[in-house]
Parts: sequence; C-alpha cells; structure tokens
Amino acid sequence: NTTVICGIKAELANPTVEAPGKGYIVPNVDLPPLCSSRFRPGPPGEQAQAASQFIADVIESSEVIQAEDLCIERGKLCWVLYCDLMCLDYDGNVLDACVIALLAALKNTQLPEVTVNTETCTPVVNLEKRHGLNIHKHPVGASFCVFDDSILLVDPTAEEESLLTSQLTVVTDEAARLCAVHKPGGTSLSGEKLQECISRATVRQKEIQKLIDKVIHSVKTSQ
Amino acid sequence: MATVQVSEAEKVYILHGIRDDLRVDGRGCEDYRHMEIETDVVSNTDGSSKVTLGHTVVLVGIKTEIGKPRPMVPDEGYLDFFVDCSANATPEFEGRGGEELGTELSNTLYRAFNNKHSLDLKSLCISPGEHCWVLYVDVLLLQCDGNLYDAISIAIKAALFNTKIPRVHISADDEGGREIELSDDPYDCVRLNVENVPCIVTLCKVGHRHVVDATLQEKACSVASLIMSVTHRGTVTCTRKVGGGSLDPESIFEMTEAGKRVGKALHAPLMKLLQQEESLGRKKQKVGFLS
Amino acid sequence: MPVDTKRVRGPEVSQSPSLFLCKPAKTLPPDGLRADGRQRDQVDVRPVFVRCGLVSQAKGSAYIEAGNTKLICCVYGPRETERKDETDMKCGRLTTDMRFTPFSCQERGSWIQGSHDKDLSLMLHESLQPALCLHKYPHAGIEMYDLVLSCSIRQDGTSYVVDPSYMEENSHSLVDSENQGGLTVAYLPSLNQISGLQSDGDMTEDTLTAGVRTCIEGCFKIYPVIQHALARAVRRAAPPPSES
Repeated sequence: NTTVICGIKAELANPTVEAPGKGYIVPNVDLPPLCSSRFRPGPPGEQAQAASQFIADVIESSEVIQAEDLCIERGKLCWVLYCDLMCLDYDGNVLDACVIALLAALKNTQLPEVTVNTETCTPVVNLEKRHGLNIHKHPVGASFCVFDDSILLVDPTAEEESLLTSQLTVVTDEAARLCAVHKPGGTSLSGEKLQECISRATVRQKEIQKLIDKVIHSVKTSQ
Repeated sequence: MATVQVSEAEKVYILHGIRDDLRVDGRGCEDYRHMEIETDVVSNTDGSSKVTLGHTVVLVGIKTEIGKPRPMVPDEGYLDFFVDCSANATPEFEGRGGEELGTELSNTLYRAFNNKHSLDLKSLCISPGEHCWVLYVDVLLLQCDGNLYDAISIAIKAALFNTKIPRVHISADDEGGREIELSDDPYDCVRLNVENVPCIVTLCKVGHRHVVDATLQEKACSVASLIMSVTHRGTVTCTRKVGGGSLDPESIFEMTEAGKRVGKALHAPLMKLLQQEESLGRKKQKVGFLS
Repeated sequence: MPVDTKRVRGPEVSQSPSLFLCKPAKTLPPDGLRADGRQRDQVDVRPVFVRCGLVSQAKGSAYIEAGNTKLICCVYGPRETERKDETDMKCGRLTTDMRFTPFSCQERGSWIQGSHDKDLSLMLHESLQPALCLHKYPHAGIEMYDLVLSCSIRQDGTSYVVDPSYMEENSHSLVDSENQGGLTVAYLPSLNQISGLQSDGDMTEDTLTAGVRTCIEGCFKIYPVIQHALARAVRRAAPPPSES
C-alpha cells in the first residue's frame, strides 16, 4: 500500500566556485503526518532525514544523472534539480518506493532550452524547446528485513518493519553493479545472506526497469 | 485569544440586553467604545501611533527601509506586517502562546491590503527591479480587551498617515550605474496617501443580533464573528469569518450591510482627527503612555 | 532565514526559469470563454473526481481532483492530548494541518510551512469545526451535523469566474478596474449555514452579497458528487447483503 510521489522542479542558479562545471541535484524525502499516525507535524524526523541522505547517496554513487549534464554555461549558470519525494501512505519499505519514484520522475523530466544572452548576461528560456534528461544508470533498491539472523523477508510491510530485528537495503543498477548498501543497526548478518540479498536485488532491478520503461513508453504514446 | 469565563446567568443578561439594543456598558449595538488616538509616539520609527479602545491598547510602529522589489512585481514596493502579542497584554501570550494569534492577525492584515487601491505601492518604487521602499509595520499589543482587529487597523491607518519617507534622488554616475542618495534634510520627505487605507470592523453575532466592538464578555456569548475591512468609499477589501460557529446566509448579508455602514462612517472623523493633530505641529502636548 | 539543517540543501539562491521567458506569458482575454472552455458568469464548477479511503494507514482519507488540482486528506486520531493543563476535557479537539508540496505551484515552495499554508489550515479549522460533534466521544466514526462544502469565485470587474484555476486566480487583469477580488465560502447545505467566509481584493458590498449567493449555488453543484463518493465508500466497506 505504500505510495510515494516525486516531483521534480528545475531552477536556475550559479554553480559553486569549487565545481564550476556542475549543477545541483537536491533530493529531499518528507514523511508528513498525513502518511501514517507515527509521524507528527513539525521538522522532519530522524527517519526522513536518513531517507533524504540515503537518496542523495544513491544519486551520487550510482551516477543516475551526472551533475556535469546540468551545467548550462561553465561557471555561470546551471540547473538545480529539486527532487521532492513525499510519502502519501506509509506501509513499509519507503526507501525502495522512493528510489523507484525518483527514477521514474527523472525519466519523465523535460527541461526547457536555456541560452545566455551575451550582452546582458541574463538567461533566456524557451519553453517550446524541451529535452529529456540523460539517464546514465537505472538504480533500483531492494529492501529486506531480517528476523533472528535466519529468516529473510523481501519488501517488508509497516507491520513487519515494526517487528524486525534488522533491516537491509541494497541498490543495484542494470549492470548488476552495487550502488549502495544501507543497513541501519540491528542484529548482524552473515556474508552468505548478504550475497543472497544482492543477487535477489539484481533480479528485482531488471523487473523494475522493465516496468518503468513500459510506463514511460505508455506515457509517451498517450501524449 | 484572551478569554474570560462568563456564567450562564450573565450570558442571559447580556443576550437580553443586546436584543433590546442596550449593552452592558450602555452602548447601542453599533457603537464603539471611547477611543483615543495619538501619533508620533515612538521617535525612532518613521511613523507610529497608539490607539486605545476601551482597555485595548495597541502600538504600531512603521520603519521604512530600502529593499529589493519582489520578482513578480518589479515596479512596486511592499508592506511587511508583524504582530507581536507580548505577554504584557495577557499572561496567555507567554512563551510561544501569542504566536498563533500573531500569525492570524498578520495574515488578515496582508489580505486586507492585498489590492491595488489600499496604498499606492507603485509610489514606493525607487527604481524598477532594483530598489523599492519596504514598509515594516510592527504591531504591538499592549493590552487586550476585545476587538483587536479594529484597534489594530485604526492604529495602522494612523501610523501610515504619520509615516515620513525620506526623499530619494537618483543620480547617474560615470559608468552608467545609478546611485541613490537620501535627502539629508529631515523635513524633506514624502507622505503616503492613506485615503484608501481600509479600517477593519468586527461584527460579533450575539443571539439574533450582531454588535460592533464587542467586549470580552460579549465575545464569550457569541458563536462567530465576521471581520470586514472597509474603505472610505464603502468597498470591502477583506472579509473573514472567525470563531467556531456558523452563520446563516441572511445574517451574513445583514452583517456585511451593517459593517459597511459602520466602517464607512469611521473614516471621515478619523481623517479629520489625524489632520487636526498634524496641524498642531510641535506645539502638540504629548500625552504618551501615562495618560 | 534560519538554515534548515535537517534536509539536503541546495544552492542558496536559485530562480525559477519562468522569470526569464523569452515570450511574455499569455494573458487572458477579458471576455469570452475561459482557458479550459468553461463559461464566465455562470456557476460552472470543474468536474471533480473524489475517492474515499485510499490511505491504508489513516482512520479516514479522501482524494480529490478538480482540473489539475490534486489534493489528499487524511484523518488520524483520537490521540492523547498534549496540553493537559488547559484542555477542556468536556469535548474533543480538532486540529488541522494543510501544506503544499514544494512542487505543487509554479514557483517552487519551501518545505517549511509558509504563512499561506498556515492561513489555509486555520480557515479549514474554522470551516469544519461547526459541523463536528466534538462533544460526543468518537466511536465508530465522528458524528457530523452536515457535510461541509466549499466554493470560490474570482470577481474581475463586472464578470466573475466560479472555481477559478491557478492561472485565473493569479492573473491580475491589467485594466485597473474596480471590484476585483476573490471570495471563498464554506457551506453546510442541509442546515443552510455558512461556516467559513473569506475574501480579499476590493469589492462593493453588493458584489460581495451576490458572490456569496453564487458560491452557495456552486456548493450545491458538488453536493451530490460528494454524497455519491461517500455512499460508494460505505458500500464497499460494508457490502449490502446479497439477495439470494
């Protein structure tokens, strides 16, 4: 039942001095009080902060989009992609849902063409010419929960999450490369089990990528 | 908001009185309490006023600063409202208690001024897209005795009337850039046209009638009130229902009609008073806070 | 501006590309049809799509779509009161919280709740409270006196549009005409009571009165749709005994 919505807003900004040829990708995960009774209004809780950081790590390590692609004019102008993820229904395993939502939203993003007016140094935006983003990799996460170091459960629900002893998220891309492994505390896990999780995650990645491609294709044909 | 406990018997007494157009303090249903207005009370603001309405005391200070215009409206200045519910007014405001009421009040003020006529925002523009005047309107509640909205809006109008904005000279420098120069003469300043600034009238539904300028006791007997900000021409710039109850459409129509009448009548005497005080000039005897 | 340390931060300043459009945005023709083909000066509410009970974790939830406006609402509770010292134990308390997702408007919003959101939360609170029986303890559901419906209009000179879209709400006509503004009315249809009223702009009293009447009419247009959605949700939760 978990539902996550991802919105991507692109804005223009000046790149940093340290990285003049790079744009910004700013992912944020919000777990509002709306999605479950466990969250209260106010600033984001620990879980939301951890999730935001996790998504940021996934984007960086998987190179799903390269920050260089977001540069419009070196040292002067670049895109900022605000990827805002909001959970609408919290029924466990938000991390996987967030990664999938993010990937699908990125694939669906169309940026307008921007040129810099050389005389006034102000950007000129042409909304009629739009192009998609260059998606390099397709990272997909698979979460497992562990009971007593022996039983592995894929895609835990909220109820299972409240009972588990340890949790593990593995993110892999289409080349079966490992992008991120996230295991926040809990009981220990044997090496073989971890191997098993990784191989399962690669299988899952293929399924999800097929699904996303299908959806993106159907969106394109319906337009 | 500051509330008082009213017993059932007292409620009945107030309700019956209002039914017969006679309120506990002897007023009719559309009468205001005694009001005192004084402008130019805080010397380090650009405009200030203090309004006393019954036992409600409100102090408004206006500071002008040069800021950057909002990107969507590059050729206008803007107003910034802040309402401080100090714990002086009532112990309930201690800590963060007054914050909620403060946001509610300032949001309503934004709404009341959210139109083209209230204040000529274009006159606050210095150079489009670059510089404009920003008026920081700070409201301080000193004492709460009901009817905050009305007192605040009158105080704001008086303070805006009193506001002096230094005259600005724009001179082009050698490189084609522009330089802003403030006039040194403290008497060389621009005044705002406050003719269209609205005043807020709060109508409290008590029983089957509605009263203007309700005291805390009367407010405790009412289920809902209607806030209206009315200009001197009788147009309405903002309405809002507050309170936990609901109103039937007919009584809303009656209340807007009465609100318009009362609000319209408020402006002429207020302007006259402000001009009178202004004409006294420096001879004016300061009453200050010890009145 | 306080620094938000609990979220991933981007650059300090960024600007929306819509500020640098090479072509000016289209302005609405003052007369004739509206951008989505609806009529002006008529109670022409957008068709709404409503479903109840979508969020599995909530005690009650609803999703509504009107044009491109999409909104989800959940109800949680009852909870233990936080402020034990001053609460009146005789009745329940309603709290409302409304927020925009950062990507909901043309300009990207902040994650921090702005004053606009707070204002809407308050308005929602005031509009809903009269309809709830807070003095009764909630058992299987929360008892309500009536449904609360709401409708808005935008007045522009002598003409008005009902249920304005984002563009209509935010486009100010260049003509400096009198009588401009917006009005929102929350209404309890079967009790004929107005539970919420809010307006801004600059309108005469007659316009305001006429506007309130128009809004009430608009509320009656959505009434059957909401009733239908509720009935559908109840039927699904407890299917009527099949006749065999």
